[in-house]
Amino acid sequence: MASNIGTHGRRVSPPGECVLQRALMVRKKLTAREGRGWMSGTLFCTHFRVAFVPQDGPKPDDNTDPVLLGDHDVALASIEKVVVVGPNRTKLVSPNSSLKFTPEELLLYCRDMRVICFLFDRLTPDAQVLEITYTIAKTYQPLKPGSVLSFQNAALGSVEMKQFLSNRRRDARMNWFDSASDWEQELERCGATGWRVSSVNDRFEMSTSLSRFIVVPQKVLDTELKKSFAHFNEGRIPRWCWRHPRGSDLLRMSIFQNNIYHEKDDIRNLEMVLFGCQNSLCVVVELGDELPSPSDIQLAHSRLRTLCLGDVSTSVSVPDDKWLSTLESTHWLDHVRLCLRKASEVACLLRSGHLTVALQEPEDRDMSCVVSSLVQVMSDPHCRSQHGFQSLVQKEWVMAGHRFYSRINYHRDNDKEEAPVFLLFLDCVWQLWFQFPSRFQLTGDFLLALHDSIHLPLFSTFLGNCQRERCKRSQNLGQSYTPVNGWRDALQPDSSSDPSDPPLPPVWDWALQYSADRRACFTQPVPPTPPPQPLLNGNLNMKLDPADSAPGSVFLLSRGSFTCPGNLPPWRSSASGVYKKSHRRAPSTENVPGLERLLKAWKLTATCGPQGPADAYEPLLPLLLVPCMGLWRECYLRGALHAQAFSHPVTSNHLHPVERLAQEVQQLQDKLAQLSPGADLDPPTVTTEPRHADANLNQNTNNATFLFSASKPRSVGKAAPPPSSNRHVSRAPPPTATPAPRPGGKDLGGSNKHTFLFGHSSVTEGRADPRYHPPPNAKLPKSDRP
Amino acid sequence: MASPVSVYSNTRDPQIRTTARDSLKMDLLANVSLLPGEERIIDKDVIYICPFNGAVKGKVLITNYRLYFNSVDLDVLVSLDVPLGAISRVEKMGGASSRGENSYGLDITCKDMRNLRFALKQEGHSRRDLFELLFRYAFPLSHGSPLFAYLNQEKFPENGWSIYKPVEEFRRQGLPNNKWRITFINKNYELCDTYPTVLAVPFKSTEEDLKRVATFRSRGRIPVLSWIHRENKAVIVRCSQPLVGMSGKRNKDDERYLDLIREANDTTKLTIYDARPSVNAVANKATGGGYEGDEYQNAELVFLDIQNIHVMRESLKKLKDIVYPTVEESHWLSSLESTHWLEHIKLVLSGAIQVADKVSGGHSVVVHCSDGWDRTAQLTSLAMLMLDSHFRTLRGLQVLIEKEWISFGHKFASRIGHGDKNHTDQDRSPIFVQFIDCVWQMTKQFPTAFEFNENLLLTILDHLYSCRFGTFLYNCESARDQNEVRTKTLSLWSLVNSKMEIYLNPFYTPESGRVLYPVASMRHLELWVTYYIRWNPRIQHQQQSPVEQRYRELLALRDEYLKKLEQLQMSDSSSTSSDLANSSAPNASSSTPPKKYLRTPL
Repeated sequence: MASNIGTHGRRVSPPGECVLQRALMVRKKLTAREGRGWMSGTLFCTHFRVAFVPQDGPKPDDNTDPVLLGDHDVALASIEKVVVVGPNRTKLVSPNSSLKFTPEELLLYCRDMRVICFLFDRLTPDAQVLEITYTIAKTYQPLKPGSVLSFQNAALGSVEMKQFLSNRRRDARMNWFDSASDWEQELERCGATGWRVSSVNDRFEMSTSLSRFIVVPQKVLDTELKKSFAHFNEGRIPRWCWRHPRGSDLLRMSIFQNNIYHEKDDIRNLEMVLFGCQNSLCVVVELGDELPSPSDIQLAHSRLRTLCLGDVSTSVSVPDDKWLSTLESTHWLDHVRLCLRKASEVACLLRSGHLTVALQEPEDRDMSCVVSSLVQVMSDPHCRSQHGFQSLVQKEWVMAGHRFYSRINYHRDNDKEEAPVFLLFLDCVWQLWFQFPSRFQLTGDFLLALHDSIHLPLFSTFLGNCQRERCKRSQNLGQSYTPVNGWRDALQPDSSSDPSDPPLPPVWDWALQYSADRRACFTQPVPPTPPPQPLLNGNLNMKLDPADSAPGSVFLLSRGSFTCPGNLPPWRSSASGVYKKSHRRAPSTENVPGLERLLKAWKLTATCGPQGPADAYEPLLPLLLVPCMGLWRECYLRGALHAQAFSHPVTSNHLHPVERLAQEVQQLQDKLAQLSPGADLDPPTVTTEPRHADANLNQNTNNATFLFSASKPRSVGKAAPPPSSNRHVSRAPPPTATPAPRPGGKDLGGSNKHTFLFGHSSVTEGRADPRYHPPPNAKLPKSDRP
Repeated sequence: MASPVSVYSNTRDPQIRTTARDSLKMDLLANVSLLPGEERIIDKDVIYICPFNGAVKGKVLITNYRLYFNSVDLDVLVSLDVPLGAISRVEKMGGASSRGENSYGLDITCKDMRNLRFALKQEGHSRRDLFELLFRYAFPLSHGSPLFAYLNQEKFPENGWSIYKPVEEFRRQGLPNNKWRITFINKNYELCDTYPTVLAVPFKSTEEDLKRVATFRSRGRIPVLSWIHRENKAVIVRCSQPLVGMSGKRNKDDERYLDLIREANDTTKLTIYDARPSVNAVANKATGGGYEGDEYQNAELVFLDIQNIHVMRESLKKLKDIVYPTVEESHWLSSLESTHWLEHIKLVLSGAIQVADKVSGGHSVVVHCSDGWDRTAQLTSLAMLMLDSHFRTLRGLQVLIEKEWISFGHKFASRIGHGDKNHTDQDRSPIFVQFIDCVWQMTKQFPTAFEFNENLLLTILDHLYSCRFGTFLYNCESARDQNEVRTKTLSLWSLVNSKMEIYLNPFYTPESGRVLYPVASMRHLELWVTYYIRWNPRIQHQQQSPVEQRYRELLALRDEYLKKLEQLQMSDSSSTSSDLANSSAPNASSSTPPKKYLRTPL
């Protein structure tokens, strides 16, 4: 029996994969996005995924297949429930269940809210149907402590896979924010002068949850800075995150540590840190009260899941006539709206220029991630491109210490901490994208891919609560961290590394999960962003009179209004004694109306129209009227089978004209880039040239199969292949990935015997006979390319 | 072409705003452009109690067509332009002695989801003339004067009355054929006074048969053909309920006639869709109506559970309550649910889906409700929209409305109450609005399948009330003939077809032969925010959808890149690199063909 997933010569399996079971003549139900209807093929269950290989898939002409998961595959760790549908009943299959009927349909309910439906043909042997159902039910891993690691090992633990991953180069088109130069690059991109990168937290001694490098005012020395950590919860002092092109700075911090004595010198430093480079005005935006708490988010999300998927075990779903009120009672959309509202307020404050906005949250690790990144998505066109957005997530989530690991709760070991804060953020971004699609270079498909990846416990991005934990992990792999290119070294497999702990790739290595075709849909061309215009004079009267604002005024924005409480910051309260009134002028309340005008401005500009503001740096302020909040149906209702009740097998598979045009424009853009390498036509995302010296390593390495090629692969259809000859070289498979000879491959047709798969099968012969077994010395698919 | 002043374009564009302000200083109402035939009646200083901006001082102008308001205060730029036809009710609020600021004035209820309130000076009966004139011109029929459509002197290059010719439309569908014939038995409206003159009936039925069947169908609305499937010859037939009554009367002719319909397609069973809930159908027996019983052999009866006109009216009223003047934000979704508006939309759509599915499966269907002019029209026209791609074009939709709604006697006059002061009339109901909403839902679910855009649907609904055109006036063809609508008034389609480009969907991709089945589930239906909540200033009156905007920008980008590429290739070919020219050649050819299918109407 054949046991190779690549029935048609496609190299679909990652190195070292075992096929546990397979079933022939299976049909997969396609979603609306995929064109609806059914697709025939073969279903496999391997030790880490359920793979579906279409019968008449596209001709395998290059190695564009994703490494880990094909477009029709689902990782075992993503599966939440396995349900079979028989002639007249539906049954939830547990690892121990035995079926008294032959299933006609197999439904895989996934954590990412997909429901994947396979239909068994009458011609599928009953034994195969039962066996594959049992195999999936036994092997998919209900999350529990320990199961994640075994899944990681199954997916990434093989020698070949480790080797393969160690040869990956990280994407140089985005900013990873893990070296000092990364941060300097960001300062430069934002034109933020007056700030510097401090390595005072290099050993995580100042704050365990902050990143190694933080950005602080230039005028504060490290020795002075060190004293300020104690004044903030978890040592999360005010740090710079972003500068608006008009000069305002966005900061983040945790709450002030009470009961601490403020020395005079400390106060001077604290004030400098807090005011950053703006001397006059600092607005502290309190995020604790008005935004949903992590447990609110968790509750809302689990309700939303139940609502959208129905009760899986009983296949009962909310009756249609109660849909709207039940959706309302999840409060998910309320939470989305609150986050967008808060971010809109902050974006409006920043657009006026010349003030410091400091987001404050008790821990500074949840909602401040949401708000600070939403503000940047609204205000900074760079953050609306794929790589800009990825950089943003690195900066405001990964490095800022969002507790991904606890919030996602992969191990199911701490349900109290679980809260899909990041998914709430993605929904907010989707709302913005939905209201201003032409302002985004990234697409809804990209957001969906990111959404789904969260549920795959494979990525270093999400498997850690802060940079320190991620560094520790790489140290466990036998590596000592080296500041210059530590990440890469961390992944170098080494004789000393523990084989049970595979290296984890970052989520941004999309080629692991998505084919080139799918990745091509992650972005769409946008016009280049013009340089920021100075704010029109007199527009909205929001210039604050500098004379009016006492230097050093601190205001608190809470529930839509400004106050200047006496204990903000706490060292100014009279109780602290040290702070003298004469030290600085008392905050002038006359500023309050000025600030309120700034906030009102966003209500006025809310009428800027669906195309968004004319000035690229005006924030995208979404319509927040409740009826305008949309449900992300492409995500949450993907699995709702009733939605496809009337979809007929033969329906249109046309691209929407907008997508077609976008593809065409992208092709033109690529072609132009080829013809005129220096031409200035790229959107700003690409113009921020990667500084990394290894940016072009890709082209030259031997292992380039799995590398990002410099120009984005496009699904050009019949268009000519990229002409440059060095690409061909780059597509040769790595010799390291050559599969080891399979032990006794030929007689392993048995149903539950583990079969070793080849990483590669021969292109030509494999296609001719699906049952063909490649001999151990099978030709590498690309070696005979002209 | 004279077009009414657009309220929104003024407020959006800052440049226009300033020029408008300048002229306002001279005369608030000077820049109102009137339609040919429109006359100024009265203008007056009033205060508009704007639900969004508070009290706004300004000037109101009443013409014989519209109410126009412009604010004096330059800080709050508010203007209103309301066709008098959209007004359903004018009331005095407060008395000469009532206290409180702005408590004395007029309250105006509109049919298009808004209310207006004006305050006037309390001294000297200042509102009396305004009230009386408004009352007279808003409800001309109640005062024996003509509707504005009869006074409108606009000229259009196109004559919209010629859009629909029944015989031509039948011919397009392949009729007459050997099973179906066209009859002129109703040319003097003697068989049925609410039907059109040209009807398609089974070939085997005689004129005598038709007359006998007419006696057994409510108001003589006999089963006639609406649409025939080109390949499988299955038909959609529409009619009114049979006059069964309490005693359970039978009519052999009617039974035989329905069997002829079945026979024409050689199927074993004819499906009769009764749009009503079965309880209502039973209740109708008391008033002489009813439904087809077991005596109709070879026929199955399916009830579609769509509620009657009164339920729909109340539902829309509830919807108005939660969106105007302020949107009920605190419990929006459950409030929306409690209006049941979307649920009614769902039932209408799913009824139409069943009809379309049956017909595309080769089975003929008969559709009726009580009289066959409300729910029946919704079901047949929506099913035809799903089945026949012709009706999804700009002109096709016009034909569909002319045919299934106007010619088959949807009682527009009674349902809308054109020019009639009796705002409590129980005959009024937003059945046609509901139909347009269903069409909108379909365009949302199939964004590339329709040639027209949302703007057309909004325009249709605006002129459903405006009385500027004769298209939606009167209840049936016979009344229109009597009142010489076609000769004395203009057709809405004249306006539309003279300026087609603004009604076209740039994403339209024609696909004939594809049946569209929208998802009729609450999970996928949406409230038509840009219609029902469009008066809320926080909802932008979108000239362009976000997607259209994206499309435009992409087009601009493409043109720019093509130009740059051309320049580059020109300079390249003159210089050295033949290599580059070669490599770009196949790409260039691959990028040129798409231009053909990319329409650029924007």
